Amino acid sequence: MAQVASPIEIAERPHHTLWGDAFIRLRRNRLAMVGAVIIILFAIGAIIIPYVSPYAYDKQNLANNLLGPSWQHLLGTDILGRDIFTRLIYGARTSLSVGVFTQLIILAIGIPIGSLAGSLGGRTDNLLMRFVDVMYAFPDILLIILLRSILGGSIYMMFLAIGLVAWVNVARLIRGQILSLKERDFITAARAMGGSTAYRIIRHLIPNSLGPIIVLVTFSVPRAIFMEAALSYIGIGVDPSIPSWGTMIRDGYDMIFAGAPYIIIFPAIAIAILMLSFTFLGDGLRDALDPRLRK
Amino acid sequence: MGNLLEVRDLTTHFFTQDGVVKAVNGISYTVDEGETVALVGESGCGKTVGALSILRLIPEPPGKILSGEILFQGKDLLKLSRQEIQQVRGAQISMIFQEPLTSLNPVLTIGRQLSEALQAHKKIDSQTARDEAIKLLQMVGIPQAERRVKDYPHHFSGGMRQRVMIAMAISCRPKLIIADEPTTAVDVTVQAQLLEMIRGFTQELNTSLILITHNLGVVARYAQRIYVMYAGRIVEYGPTAEVFHQPYHPYTVGLLKSVPRLDQPKRERLQSIAGQPPDLIYAPEGCAFQPRCVYCDGGQCSIQEEKLIEISPGHFSSCVLAKGGVLIWQKR
Repeated sequence: MAQVASPIEIAERPHHTLWGDAFIRLRRNRLAMVGAVIIILFAIGAIIIPYVSPYAYDKQNLANNLLGPSWQHLLGTDILGRDIFTRLIYGARTSLSVGVFTQLIILAIGIPIGSLAGSLGGRTDNLLMRFVDVMYAFPDILLIILLRSILGGSIYMMFLAIGLVAWVNVARLIRGQILSLKERDFITAARAMGGSTAYRIIRHLIPNSLGPIIVLVTFSVPRAIFMEAALSYIGIGVDPSIPSWGTMIRDGYDMIFAGAPYIIIFPAIAIAILMLSFTFLGDGLRDALDPRLRK
Repeated sequence: MGNLLEVRDLTTHFFTQDGVVKAVNGISYTVDEGETVALVGESGCGKTVGALSILRLIPEPPGKILSGEILFQGKDLLKLSRQEIQQVRGAQISMIFQEPLTSLNPVLTIGRQLSEALQAHKKIDSQTARDEAIKLLQMVGIPQAERRVKDYPHHFSGGMRQRVMIAMAISCRPKLIIADEPTTAVDVTVQAQLLEMIRGFTQELNTSLILITHNLGVVARYAQRIYVMYAGRIVEYGPTAEVFHQPYHPYTVGLLKSVPRLDQPKRERLQSIAGQPPDLIYAPEGCAFQPRCVYCDGGQCSIQEEKLIEISPGHFSSCVLAKGGVLIWQKR
């Protein structure tokens, strides 16, 4: 039997998995790495803040209210004398968990519906996608207000509310992916090998559409974060007792011209930085996962 | 030897926006146990659709198998339920596809795809399946199989991927392998190796083979019988040697003349068949080959419905001109 390549040649060639390749490309993207580092820093801060901060996020100290930034209070204190730095990092908890857990809900609804619609086709597809269209056309804010009045203002409600309005994008994306993948030869080959429909969806169709989904998810994290902040700002987000950047901005709004603009500035900067970081990371992932850009 | 597979009057059409594409029009053929049968014809003559129809792999919609019977070991595959046909696919009838580059899932390792193909039909644990996968890769001549099972398809060359596809096709010891132009996409040096390998396996396992190809050289060497297809119909069939020696259909004559032969006079030019295969939406009346046929005199050709007539024992043709056994194309 003919040797295809000499054994030595094979042994010397470095081998990467598909995801390994993508990771190497991501590592080379400086902007994406900066984004990733900032996100990780925020996450670490959000985890360790209760152990390192001398102040509790809800500890009021009316004697020390509206202090400017100082070594005591790095970013100053708000109108109730709460430490802004502590609240800001606690706010990262809210933002990051909304950002991440919302995606889980989006994926948990969007992937099954999108992949069923795409792979079964016909009437099922029609039915599911019309449902998606209805959800898409329904005003998000209205749905969230509705859900909020039913579910209350806990952070879990935020996950659910934002997740329930945002899953349609994932469903549409994965359906489109699967529709084009379905025509590929390896799917016919899998059918010819006797693979069942479920096997083809789970083993072949979904893994092959993961790339674009990961990218969509990374871009929809900042959207969820911003949505939470916006909802909290207009007072229908998380309960005011939970620190959230949106709530902090609303609190600071009254103080802009009352000599304490820093109350609104820092959370606003935090939102901008975190959203930019996710956007950079998403850009980097999109480039890394697109094999056409492979060098 | 009994018939392993008998296709009777199979008709598969595609219902597209532009009209009904009559890809396969009432073809019938048989494959005996252990036999290699070739389906030959130009691109777009319905070879692949005819083969895909056996395993009901036609995309529906737009395709639809309108009529016919596909008897495999006496059972009509067209009447099986979805679960039942899944049990046949891969286990009893397997396929080797034309494009090895795209027939493997790019995100799964080779070993995984092989062992999952095994586990789809056999009740074995993943460790056994893995060992079996390595053994299969060794059988198809992949060096360092233990290492290579962990690789992804993009680490393999086209020829090696086709070896993997062959390994997958023989993994469950099927009764019938359908090879759809298995060597079209690989280069000539590998073609011969692959075909020899496929033949080795079919002989070893007493597997029947349907070889779909447009390469007549391949047919002459490997197939016992040959079916020539044109415009979704079988126009001639018979034992390979006989069809090559004395073709009864002008289309077969054209095909044979367009292949270079070692025994032909050096000066003689290769001939091609003029014109294009017909649009399968608007199939012409009568003989579909008539517009391109150089022997047609315009008489019965455009009126008479094509029908296969036994001209010599076991050798059929649909050409009305060959009916009497007087062959115009043999007169020089």
